[in-house]
Amino acid sequence: MSATTSVNVRTARRLRAERWYQRPRWRRLAAMVALAVTMTLVTGAQGSHQDLFFALEENLTGVALWVWLALAVAVWAGREFLTPQVASAVSGSRALASGPLGRVREVWRADRRVRFGVLAVAAALAVLVPSGLDRYWQTVLVDQIAIFVLVAVGLNVVIGWAGMLDLGFIAFFAIGAYSAAYWTGALPVQPPMVLNNFAVIPIAVVTCLVAGVLLGAPTLRLRGDYLAIVTLGFHEIVYLSAKNLADYTGGTRGVKVDRFAVDLGFWSYEWGVVDAMPYYYLLLAFVAVVVFLFWRLEHSKVGRAWTAIREDEVAAASTGVDTVRYKLMAFAIGASTSGVAGVAYASKVGYINSENFVILLSVLVLAYVIFGGMGSIPGVLFGAAFLVWLPEALRSLVDPKDRYMYLGGLLVVMMIYRPQGVIPSRRRSRELKLARSGEVEGDGTTEPAGGRLS
Amino acid sequence: MSLNAFWDFLVLGLVLGCLYAVIAIGYTLVYGVLQLLNFAHSEVFMFGAFGGLLALTVWAPAADPAGVQSVVYVVVGLLAGAAFGGAVAYGLEKVAYRPLRRRGAPRLVFLITAIGASFFLYNLAGKLFGRNSLAMPNLYENRRVLTVFGADLNITQVIIVVSAVGMMVGLDYVVNRTKLGSGIRAVAQDPEVASLMGVDIDKVVSRTFVIGGLLGGAAGFLFGVNNKVVYTMGFLPGITAFAAAVLGGIGNVRGAMLGGMLLGVVETMTVFVWGEEWRYVAGFAALVLVLMFRPTGLLGERVGRTA
Amino acid sequence: MLNKTIVRLAVPLAVGALALTGCGDGGSGDGGGDTVKIGFQGPLSGDNVQLGQNMENGVRLAIDQANASGDYDFEVEYFAADDQGLPDKAPTAAQSAISEEVIAVVGPAFSGSADASAEYYAEAGIPAVSSSATRADLTTKGYGSFLRAVPNDSAQGAGMATYLSKSTDAEKVVVVDDKTDYGVGLADVAEQSLKDAGLEVVRHSVPQKTPDYSAAARNVVGADADALIYAGYYEDAGPFATKLDEAGFEGIRMSGDGSRDMQFVELAGDSANDWLLTCACTDPTQEEATKKFAEDYEAAFNQPPGTYSAESFDVANLIIEQIAETGGADSTGEKLLEALRAVEYKGITKEFSFDDTGDFTNQTIYMYEVQDREINYLGSVDKLTAK
Repeated sequence: MSATTSVNVRTARRLRAERWYQRPRWRRLAAMVALAVTMTLVTGAQGSHQDLFFALEENLTGVALWVWLALAVAVWAGREFLTPQVASAVSGSRALASGPLGRVREVWRADRRVRFGVLAVAAALAVLVPSGLDRYWQTVLVDQIAIFVLVAVGLNVVIGWAGMLDLGFIAFFAIGAYSAAYWTGALPVQPPMVLNNFAVIPIAVVTCLVAGVLLGAPTLRLRGDYLAIVTLGFHEIVYLSAKNLADYTGGTRGVKVDRFAVDLGFWSYEWGVVDAMPYYYLLLAFVAVVVFLFWRLEHSKVGRAWTAIREDEVAAASTGVDTVRYKLMAFAIGASTSGVAGVAYASKVGYINSENFVILLSVLVLAYVIFGGMGSIPGVLFGAAFLVWLPEALRSLVDPKDRYMYLGGLLVVMMIYRPQGVIPSRRRSRELKLARSGEVEGDGTTEPAGGRLS
Repeated sequence: MSLNAFWDFLVLGLVLGCLYAVIAIGYTLVYGVLQLLNFAHSEVFMFGAFGGLLALTVWAPAADPAGVQSVVYVVVGLLAGAAFGGAVAYGLEKVAYRPLRRRGAPRLVFLITAIGASFFLYNLAGKLFGRNSLAMPNLYENRRVLTVFGADLNITQVIIVVSAVGMMVGLDYVVNRTKLGSGIRAVAQDPEVASLMGVDIDKVVSRTFVIGGLLGGAAGFLFGVNNKVVYTMGFLPGITAFAAAVLGGIGNVRGAMLGGMLLGVVETMTVFVWGEEWRYVAGFAALVLVLMFRPTGLLGERVGRTA
Repeated sequence: MLNKTIVRLAVPLAVGALALTGCGDGGSGDGGGDTVKIGFQGPLSGDNVQLGQNMENGVRLAIDQANASGDYDFEVEYFAADDQGLPDKAPTAAQSAISEEVIAVVGPAFSGSADASAEYYAEAGIPAVSSSATRADLTTKGYGSFLRAVPNDSAQGAGMATYLSKSTDAEKVVVVDDKTDYGVGLADVAEQSLKDAGLEVVRHSVPQKTPDYSAAARNVVGADADALIYAGYYEDAGPFATKLDEAGFEGIRMSGDGSRDMQFVELAGDSANDWLLTCACTDPTQEEATKKFAEDYEAAFNQPPGTYSAESFDVANLIIEQIAETGGADSTGEKLLEALRAVEYKGITKEFSFDDTGDFTNQTIYMYEVQDREINYLGSVDKLTAK
C-alpha cells in the first residue's frame, strides 16, 4: 500500500518536474532565435534551382544571421529582465494618451456635427488629393484600389452582415465583366443589340442578382464551411468556363472592351485611355452611392434581420424572420455590387481574359474584408485600400517577387494581435466577445474554433 | 478498345485518388479537432516535396539505381518528405494557430491566418529554392510491372498506391486503436469534457497537426515523383483535397479517404470523356451535387462520431 | 556571386540616381544629363515569375555590360515594371514605366499585357519592343510604338505544319495547347496549317499546372495519331513528356520555342529524347557570341539563361545601340522609335528588322532535336523540307 503510494508520489514528482528548457523564459528565447532565423531567410538571398542549398548556405553563413540573432536576443533580454521598466513605460504612455483620446472619443460620439465635419473633410480629400498624385499612383488607385474597394464593400454584405462565408466572390465580378464585354459587342458572340457601357450596369446587376440567387438557393441550407467550399467550387466553375469556352468568351486570349463614353446628342464625353482621373471620379461616385445605400440598409429592417440571422438563425426564424429570403437577398445584393465593379473594371482596363479572375483573388478579397474589420464599412474601405496599396508600395522596398510573402506575414501577425480587424464594427466586436465567453451561439464567422481550452 | 481505355482511366483515377486521399486526411484531422479550414495545408504538402528532393540531392542517387538501392531511395524520400511536412505543420500550429486558440479567436480569423500563412510559406519556398520547376532524381527504371483488367501499372503508380494505402491503414489504426487516437477523437467530440478527463488539448492538437503534416509531406514527395516539384504546386491539389475532405464529410477520416478516391476517379473520368480542361469543373460540380443531397458529406461529419 | 552582381548593379544605379538628382527635374529625359532609363515590362511576381525573370536578367545583363564597356558616353539605368503577366495589371505597370521617364521598354512580355498596355506607350511616345509577345494580331491594331522582335505565332505554327507534312509521313496529328495565351495562339495556327496541308488534326487542351499528366497522356495515345504538337511552356512539357513516354506514345513529338529550353530536358530526362523543337532563334550554344552570353549570364545570375533570355538581351542591346545613334542621353522616345523602325541589327540570336506594322521581318523558323539530354540544331525548316 505505502509502496504504491510512494511510487505514485515519485511518478507525480517526475511528471511535475520541469526541465530547464521547458521553462517559459528559455522557450521564449528559443522562439526568438527561431524568429531570427526565419527573418534571415525572409530577407536574405534569392535561391536558385541550380543549387537548392544556395540560398540556405548564403543566408545562414552570412552576417545578416548574426544581426538578426543579436536583435532577437536583445528584444528577449529586454522583455525578460527589464519587465517592470518596460511595463511602466507602456502603461505610462497609455495613461498619457488615454486622457486626450478619451475626450476625443467622447466628442466624436456625442456630437453629430463633428462626425459629419470629419466625413466632409475625408470626402473633400478623396476628391482633391489624387489629382496631385503621380500618374502611376493614379492608375493604381483606379485600376486596383477603387475597383477592389467596391468588390470588398459588396462582400461585406454577405460575410460581415449576413454572416455567410463566401470564398468565391470574384465569380460575380467575372460575370459582371463578361456582361460588359458581351453587351458592348466585344465577345466573339454578338448580343442582340450593342449597348453603351453605362447601360450595361443595370443589366450586369440583374445578371449577377440572378446568378447570386441561383448559387444561393441550393446552398443556403449548408453551414459555414460547406458554404465556403461550395462557393469556391462555384468560382472555379465560372472561371474554368470562361477559360474553356473560348468560342464564347475569348478564353485566355481575351477580348478588348470599349471604354466608358456618354453621348447625349447635345453633349458627349469619352473616358480616355491614359488619364486615370476621369475614371477615378466615376468610381468614386459608384463607391459613394453604394456606401450610402448600404449604410441606409444596415440600419433598416433588412439590416436588423441580417443581424438576427447572424447571431442566432433558429431564434430569428422562430420570431418570424424569413431567413431564406434575407440570406438570398444578402447574396444577391453582394453579387450585384461585385457585378458593377466588374463592369467598371472591364470598361477601365479595356481588355479582359479569364486569367483576371483566378481563385486567388477571391481569397484575397476575403482577406481585405476581415483585415479591415468585417461588418464595418469604414473598416472594409480601409482594409481593401490598404492591402491593395501595400504590394504596390512594397515594390520599391523589397524584391517584387517577395511582395506576397510580406503580405502573408502581415496577415498572420495582424490576425494574432488584432483579430477583430483594424476598424471593427461595434456590434461585431461585441458579438465576438459574447461568442467567446459562450453567452451567445456564434455563427460560422464568430464562433470560436474548437479545442481552445488550454 | 473503349472498355480497355475505361479500365486504364479508372486505374489512373484511383492512383491520383490515393494521393488526394492522403492529403485530404490532413485537412480532415485538423478540422476534426479545431473545426478549422487549414488553408495552409497545401504548403505543408509542397514543403514535403521539397524535403524529399533536398534529401535525395544530398544523398545523391546513383546514375541508374536499381533493386535494393531504389527501394532505399524511395523510402528516404518518403521519410524526408514526411519529416519536412511534419515540421512545417508543427511550426504552423505553434506560430500561427496556437496564439489564436489562446485568445479564443473566431474561426474566420483562423481562416485568414491560414491564408496569410499559405502566402508566406509558398513565397518563402520560391525564394529559397528558386521558382523553376524541378524534377525528382531518377530513383528507379520506370516500367510496367503488372496488369489489372488490361490496365498497365508502372512502378511509380505501384509505389503511390502501396505507400498511400499503407499510410491510410496506419492512420486508421492510430486514430481508432491508440491512446493518441482516442485523445484526438475525444477533443473532436467535446474539447471541454476532454480536458476535464485529463486530455492535454494543446498536445493533442499539436500532434494532430504533425500527423496531418507527416501524411501531407509524404504525399508531396509522391506527387513530386509523379509530376514535378515547384513552389506553387500545393495550391490546386490542396483545394481538390480540401474538396475531397468536404465531400466525404469533413472531420471524418474514412470519409476523407473515400472522398479523395472518388474525386480522383471523377476527375480522371472527366478527362477521358470531355478532356483535361474540364477536370476541376467536374470535380467541383460533383461536390456541389453531393452537398445538395447530403449537406454533411457522404459519411457525415466529425472524427469522434463515425470513424 | 549574387552579392557581386548586386554591387555591380548598385554602383551604376547609385551613380545614375545621383546624376539624376543633381540635374533636378529635367523633364522628359531630354534634359536629363548623361543617364537614360530602359524599362522591362513583364511578370516579375506572381505565377509566371520565372519567365519574367529570364527576360529581366537578359535585359539587366545587356545594360550592365553596356555600362561596363565604356563604349557609350551615357549611363543606362534599368527600371522594372511588373505586370504579373496579367492584362489588368499591365496599364499600371506601363504607367509606372512612363512615370519613371524611361526612353524605351523591353516588353510587354505577354501578349495579353501587350494588348492592354500598348496604347499607353503609344500615347507617351515610348517604343515598346517585345521579345516574346507572339500573338499574331498585336501588330494589326495600330499601336503606334509597339514593335515585335520575334516572329509571330503564324510563322512558327506554319513551320511546324510544313515540317510534319513534308518531311514526315504523319497523317494524323494531335495538337495539344496549354490553355495559355501563347499556347492557344500557336496551337490554333498549327491546327489550321496542318488542315490546309491535308492532315487530320485532333485538338486537345491540357491546362498548365495539371496535377497529373497521365490521364492527358493516355488520351493522346487513345487518339491513335502519328504525331503530337505540344504548344506550351517547358515547365509543363517536361512532366507531360515523361507521362507520354510511360503511356507508350510512339509517334513524332514536337513543341515550340516555349519548350526549347534545357529545363525541358532536365524535367523530362530520357523521355525528352527525339522531341523536335521549333524556334525562331539560332542555337545559343553554337556561336562564340552566344556561348559567351550563356557564360556571362550564369556568372551574373547563378542560373543558366532560360526561354527568351538571349532574345531580351539582344533587344536591350539593340535599344542601347540606337540610343547612342540618336544622340545618347539627349535622345527621345520619338527619335528612338524612328531609328528602331528602320534598324538592321545583328544580335546573338538573329537579325533584327521591322516592317511597317512593327512586326518582325525575319520569319525563319529553325528546328532542333533533343538527343541524349542535349538540344541539337538541325537547321531551318525551309532547308529541312526543301530536300
